[in-house]
Amino acid sequence: MDSSFINMEFLIDTFFVALSGVPIALLVTVVALLIAMPIGFFLALSRITEVPIVNGFTKVYVSFVRGTPIIIQIFVLYSILPLILAGIFERYNIDFPIYDVNPLWYAFIIFSFNTAAVLVEVFRSALKTVHAGQLEAAYSVGLTTAQAYRRIVIPQMLVSAMPNLCTATINLIKATSLGYAISLQEITLKAKVAANVGYNYLEAYIDIFIVYLILCITVEYLFKVFEKRLSRYKAVATA
Amino acid sequence: MLDIQNVHKSFGKNEILKGVNLTVDKGDVVVILGPSGSGKTTLLRCINFLERADQGTAKFGELTVDLHSASKKEVLDVRKRSAFVFQNYNLFNNKTAIENVAEGLIVGRKIPKVEAYKIAREALDKVGLSEKYDSYPSQLSGGQQQRVGIARAVALNPDVILFDEPTSALDPELVGEVLEVMKEIAREGTTMIVVTHEMQFAKDVAKKVIFMDGGNIVEEGTPHEIFVTPKEERTRRFLRRVLPGEYDFQI
Repeated sequence: MDSSFINMEFLIDTFFVALSGVPIALLVTVVALLIAMPIGFFLALSRITEVPIVNGFTKVYVSFVRGTPIIIQIFVLYSILPLILAGIFERYNIDFPIYDVNPLWYAFIIFSFNTAAVLVEVFRSALKTVHAGQLEAAYSVGLTTAQAYRRIVIPQMLVSAMPNLCTATINLIKATSLGYAISLQEITLKAKVAANVGYNYLEAYIDIFIVYLILCITVEYLFKVFEKRLSRYKAVATA
Repeated sequence: MLDIQNVHKSFGKNEILKGVNLTVDKGDVVVILGPSGSGKTTLLRCINFLERADQGTAKFGELTVDLHSASKKEVLDVRKRSAFVFQNYNLFNNKTAIENVAEGLIVGRKIPKVEAYKIAREALDKVGLSEKYDSYPSQLSGGQQQRVGIARAVALNPDVILFDEPTSALDPELVGEVLEVMKEIAREGTTMIVVTHEMQFAKDVAKKVIFMDGGNIVEEGTPHEIFVTPKEERTRRFLRRVLPGEYDFQI
């Protein structure tokens, strides 16, 4: 057995094992964002325009998600969803092996559920930065509400949402590490499994650490570039 | 051409418009004067459905709509016949000057892009901004922004352009350039309803001057009738306060 403090060979090998979990982590992140963004946007809109019922539901939903740890949300949904689905399938005599479902599907559902609530608040504050006059001006030149939002309000809203959207995305990437609790084949789980063999936990943790760091710094950089592009019309201000 | 009848509007318990009637003929410039809170701006906003009136009708040529219960389609129809120039300009911040002008043409009226940009360039040329096609609002002065706002309205070639205190947010030295542009398009025969505090503009350009106070039209007539021979005491009191050169107060 290697007597040095850190097993370099294992550290390097496991780094690539951890790296092989990146696609799954990113897949979960992207799918969750794609599902959560429209949901978060419309719920934010319903909060701002005070749509009855939906507004109240959204408040409760956001408080619920914010007020509970993600790991508990994962455990609860992972336990309850199969039970509910199994009940439904049994009732309608559908033969579906509900307990053999790839945990990836649960990850999609759980992280979308969580991220949508985060994005409600991100979009709500961003929508408030767009002056009401922008919408009125769009109406006055004959745009419908949908056109006005698509062409005028949303592009401006996205610019102010960018910093918070970046934070939400990075938090989501990091949160996918909790997927190990439902055997999701992502970065943390893969490295930990590799470490189990020879109890090289320190090396595995260092690898996990570095992989997330690289991933998050890259995403942060991409967001910065994108934000700069989106805010072109502001960047040139005060000529 | 434009006939507005019996417009009522309240915000909560506060009754802003108490049954206003207004008729505008094609090519007329109608100037609405009055102290703040008299309902001038609200009246304009009700005509363009930026505010829903509680009651009232509007007749744009052959199109008659109920200002309270008009359908979405009717609202769009009215907005296709009218244009609005805002006190705070309200240019689309994420679009250049020319995109601001072309937006309503391309998206609202389905005019092909090439033609829309041609119209937009002509409109910007008319307001003296040939050099600023590709500037974003953040790169323009207040006066320039408002001229883009006017170009955006003119380009739509509407039956009537509604001006809501177009110079009130401007630095004093920038008011002149905007008023010049407004005079120019008035000379071309554009039908305009203008809410303003610029008395000289009203005297020079208006075909009809309306004095509003407390949600009602108190008096209306030619500039001469309103400024020189006003009949109502309230009109006279208002004019004494706003017209320069007549000091009826003591320090």
